[in-house]
Formats: sequence, C-alpha cells, structure tokens
Amino acid sequence: MSRDAIFSAFEHAAEQPLESARAWKQAHGTPVVGSFPMHFPGELAHAAGCLPVILQESQEPITVGHGMIYPFYCGYTRSVVDQACKGDYDFLDAIMFGDHCVQVLGAADVVRAKLPNTRVHFYQLISSMSDPWSLGRARETFLLLREGLEEMIGHPIADDAIHASIQLFNQNRALLRRLYDLRRAGTANITAKQMQLAVKSSMVMDKASHNALLQQLLDELESSSDRQQRGVRVYLSGHFCQAPKLGVLDLIEDCGGIVVDDDLYHGTRYISTDVSEQGDPISALAEWYLARNLKVPCPTRVDQNADWENYLLKAMENSNAQGMIVLMAKFCEPHMYYYPEIKEAFERHNMPHLLIETEHELTALEGLRTRIESFLEVVKRQANAQARRVAA
Amino acid sequence: MKSSTAQYVMGIDFGSTTSKTVILDRAGNMVASAIAHKGSVSNDGAMVSMAEALQQAGITEADIARAVSTGYGRRMLDIADKSYTEITCHARGAVHLVPDARLVIDIGGQDSKVIAVDANGLVSQFAMNDRCAAGTGKFLEALARAVQVPLEEMGPMAMTAVEHLSISNMCATFAETEVVALLAEGKRKHDVLGAVHAAIASRTLGLIARVGKREPVVMTGGVAKNVAAVHHLEQVLGMKLRIPPDPQIAGALGAALFALDEITSPDHADEEDRVDTEMAAARCGTPTCTAKKPLPANVHPLHGPALH
Repeated sequence: MSRDAIFSAFEHAAEQPLESARAWKQAHGTPVVGSFPMHFPGELAHAAGCLPVILQESQEPITVGHGMIYPFYCGYTRSVVDQACKGDYDFLDAIMFGDHCVQVLGAADVVRAKLPNTRVHFYQLISSMSDPWSLGRARETFLLLREGLEEMIGHPIADDAIHASIQLFNQNRALLRRLYDLRRAGTANITAKQMQLAVKSSMVMDKASHNALLQQLLDELESSSDRQQRGVRVYLSGHFCQAPKLGVLDLIEDCGGIVVDDDLYHGTRYISTDVSEQGDPISALAEWYLARNLKVPCPTRVDQNADWENYLLKAMENSNAQGMIVLMAKFCEPHMYYYPEIKEAFERHNMPHLLIETEHELTALEGLRTRIESFLEVVKRQANAQARRVAA
Repeated sequence: MKSSTAQYVMGIDFGSTTSKTVILDRAGNMVASAIAHKGSVSNDGAMVSMAEALQQAGITEADIARAVSTGYGRRMLDIADKSYTEITCHARGAVHLVPDARLVIDIGGQDSKVIAVDANGLVSQFAMNDRCAAGTGKFLEALARAVQVPLEEMGPMAMTAVEHLSISNMCATFAETEVVALLAEGKRKHDVLGAVHAAIASRTLGLIARVGKREPVVMTGGVAKNVAAVHHLEQVLGMKLRIPPDPQIAGALGAALFALDEITSPDHADEEDRVDTEMAAARCGTPTCTAKKPLPANVHPLHGPALH
C-alpha cells in the first residue's frame, strides 16, 4: 500500500471509530469493549478475545445529550453522553469506565443509566502515584478489571494470553514511536493531522492489523528522506482525553507552524511507555500505570516525582521546538489547575507559548487563525531579532 | 502593476467593520490616510479606503512599490504583497507613534487585543478575546441600538452619568438584555451608558491581566476615540492612557511600515521570506498547501502567495 493509502485506512478507522468497530465485530464475531481514554489497559480486553475501542468524541452536534449533562462539562464527556443517548453504543458488549475526573464520573453515570442492558464495569485507579501502597492498589484494580472481563467471556484469561497481548501492544507503541522519531528528526514530513490519525486509529483498530499498516508505512518512510521543512517548530501540549479537532491542527500548519512533537493523549502520551513482557502480567500492567506518569506526567494523577512544566521545557528542548501551543479543552478542570504553573515556568524561561481553549462546538476558525498567525509571527520575529543581535 | 522603483508603500487594515489605508513615502512620511465604513469585512470598504488614500496622496496604484495588508480580511486583498496579523501591525504602528510604549490596547470592531511590547519594540505576548464580542466595538454598537443613541454620542453622554449602575461584562447579548431591563426600571440613559463603558473597561482589564500590566500604555482602534471608554479604562488601570492623534489607523500604519521595510531593508525581509518560501514549497500538493492560483509565465513576484 502507498503512504496515502495507509493514511486513508487510518483516517477511515479514526474518523468513524464505531462503524469501524461494528464492521470488525460483524466480520470476526469479536466482542467489542469500549473504554474511556487515559489509563485503561487495552491489553486485558484483547487477551480476553475482545476488540478494545477507546470511545472518541464525535464530530456530530450535541443534541439529545444536552438534557442529561451540564453544558459546562467538557466536550468529550458531553459527546460521549450524547452518543449513548442516540444509541450509538448499543452494539458494544461492555464499557469500562475509569474515574479520571468529576466530569467523566458524571458521564459514566448517565451512560450506565441510558444503557441498562450493556455490561458497564467501573474501575477506580489510585491517583496518588508515589505512595508505598500505590503499586499494590493499582494491581488490585487491574485484577478486578481482569475478573470483570472473565465474567463477561465466561472463562479465565490465561497469563500467556495477556503476555501475548502485551507484546502486540508494545510493538504498536514502538512502531508509533518510530514514526515520531522520524518526524522529530525532520526526515519524514508527517503532518499533525496524519500523526493524529495514526495514533487515533490505533485506539480503535485491531492491533495486529494496525501494526501491519504501520510497518508498511515505516518501511516506505525509512527508505526515503523527505525534503526538510522550514517554518516555526511547534510543540503541542494538552488534550488528555479527546483528539484535537483536525481543523485546528491544519490551521496551525497552514499559518506556518510545523508540529514537531506533542504530549497529547492522541499522541506521545498514548504510546510513551511499554509494559514489561516478563513475570506476572497484572503486576507489569500496574508498574506500567505508575511508570507512564513519569514518562509523560498527567494532571489527573498526583506524583511527587513528576513535574509537568519541567517535562514540557525538556521536551521542547529535545525536539528543538521554538514555541508551544497549549490546547486546553474548555472546562477541563485538571488542565486548568495546572496551566498557571506552566505559564509561569514558560514565561520565566522566556519560552513562547500560546493558550488555545478548544470546544466541541468550535466551528469558526478565523479568530483562531489570527491568534495562531500572531503567535508564529512573534516567535519568528523574536528569533530573527535574536539572531541579528548575536551576529552583531 | 506595482513597481519596485516606485516611491510609495501602502498599508491596508481590512477590518471587520472599517477599512483603513495608510500611504508612506520612501522616507517614512505619511502622505495619506483614509478610513471607510462599509459593513462587515467589506471588499468595497477596502477599495474605497485605498482609492481615497491614493487620491489624497495624488498618486496611482502604479506609484506603490509594496503593499502589506492586515486585519480580519487581510488575505482577501489581491493588491497586497504580504499580510501580517493585526496584532503584529497594531504593535508596530503603536510603537512608531509612541516609541516607548510597552502595552498596546486595541479595541476594534470585532475583537479586543492587549499586546505587550518588549524594549526592542517587538511583541512579546498578547491576549485577544475569542468568540465573545463583549468589550469590542460590536458590543458598543449593539448597546447603542438598545438605548437608541448614535454611536458617536454614547461616550460624551456616558461621561455625564451620575448614578452608579452595573451590568454584566461577560456577554454582549446578556448585556443588551440587562440594558433593556435597566431602561424599563426607569434608569436614565446617561447612567446606563456609564455602566456600559465601565463594563468594557472591566472586560479589557481581564485581557490585560493575562499579559501583565506594564506602562506606558497606548490605546489604538476606533474605541480609543470614545472618551468614556478611555476614562473608565484609566480608572480601572489607575494610569493615563496615551492616545495617538488618529488611533484607528495604527494597524494600517504598522502594515505600511512593514511594506517600507521590504524596500529599505530587503535583507531582513528576505530572511523571513526564505523561511516562508521553503515551507510553502515543501507543502505543495499536500493538504496544507496554500497555493491559490497559478501565475502568468511573465510574472516573477518577490513576496506573498504568488510564490506558487
């Protein structure tokens, strides 16, 4: 398959995740397990013979869901509720919900009420990550998840099956990280939209199929070298649950930015950390849960050893980014709590950054264009002035 | 057709409610400025302001060596060789008018901007209202209709307010409802308008807080001509604002200064264009390609979208 054909396949799955999962179920008879984003170990559902699908924000306007959830909840939770109310989740065999924030809790309650015939498993992962009991508590939660899935399929899940799934998922993460490496190095011109499609499709597609496509894509990209792009190198930060709208990503690049790295959930956050393929698989998953918060800190977790703003400054340096665009989902409380610290740290280090608050209902992009263009003009002009001062 | 040996440069601020044009000679002297009101992002308005400025200067389009556009409709003008955002242009224009400016408040028709400027006169930070029109020229226009007072009379009338009233500063639509309610309670128009202008100041203060208060503060844009808006802003800031003689043209002036850079300091301008050129070339044929139309074979322009 050509590069374009592979990205089209990614786009088909990423932009129509439920249709894609339904088709997979019909073709293979595989139960489909939906989950909230963030910390659900898809490996367990896969080992249970299911297709794990991370539920995505839909691009459809929110209508009937309005009556079930507050308008000041984030776009992701409102969209999930709306999809549940419209019957979009009826084909799911189970839904696994985690309690990542108050709004997700509210959405989970509505979905459970609207889907009385769907198996809903609610799990509560410890959010305090560096206590002596954190690992044990995380392991207990994952054991309960395993039991919930075993109850659903009617038989135990073998450790070997979990190991095999872990290996498959690790391969997927490693392949996606290679894609990031190519973009960071500038040897492959992968747009922000294409990168999102690659990662988002991984969240909803069968992992083995996704790995095969990724391998083909990497073979092609690694055997050639794209022409080096010029422009303002931009780092994207934020959006822990839903994918940023593709129009916003296109706009950033259309204005002259080149997205070189990110900490988005539909980006490096999802693929940052592998699970150990040795020993007790449930312990390995618990270790993964704690370790990934150190790799890419999450503002919904509390960890004495993780510092998001320092992580971002370091990540900017590693990717040679000139400016950071923060994409904050409107009403995302965890992000709002942390943002002042990030702003202060970036100002202290004289590192340009722009905050963009995103909404489910975001349609008019013209005002946003002015802000993004202005930001890129600021970065470019400041960099040029600095270069002239150094030259003088 | 523009000629690189021509003696003038043009800056056009194609705004959401008005269009402004400034013409400079090669020495940087302003030889013309014009403002046209023709409705929302009106191409007619831009044409009228350009024609008027050319007429004032006693020249034709052929005498323009470079034209730079800014404002909401900046990419819609074929005449422009290049465009910059209104943030960059207003800052440039304001610093030209008040060289030691450190903060620029620009309240235009569609949006409000607060721009921090560093010691080199470059933008260091900015904040801009997003979708909400509260605190913009549109906000004032909507409330002028509600109280049935001509826009230009609102400021002087608000300055005679006696009773301290309060209205929402969060939403133009809600504010209009509140204004109607206050009038229905029998409150005087003067006092209601005082509250309207205080709300604008309060809203702008929120934007200033995002970039940090610093002085001297320059105010540009049409609302800078409104005495009550300036008065209330000075009250909430606790400092005097510097208002250039013709605050509405600051953006167009900034655009004209960038055009002037291109013919007087081509090295610097070329440096920036090289970045744009490489980037645009690398994108040709991709979804992010911004190429607009093919060029005639005999045309070899130096700037802007015509690169393709």
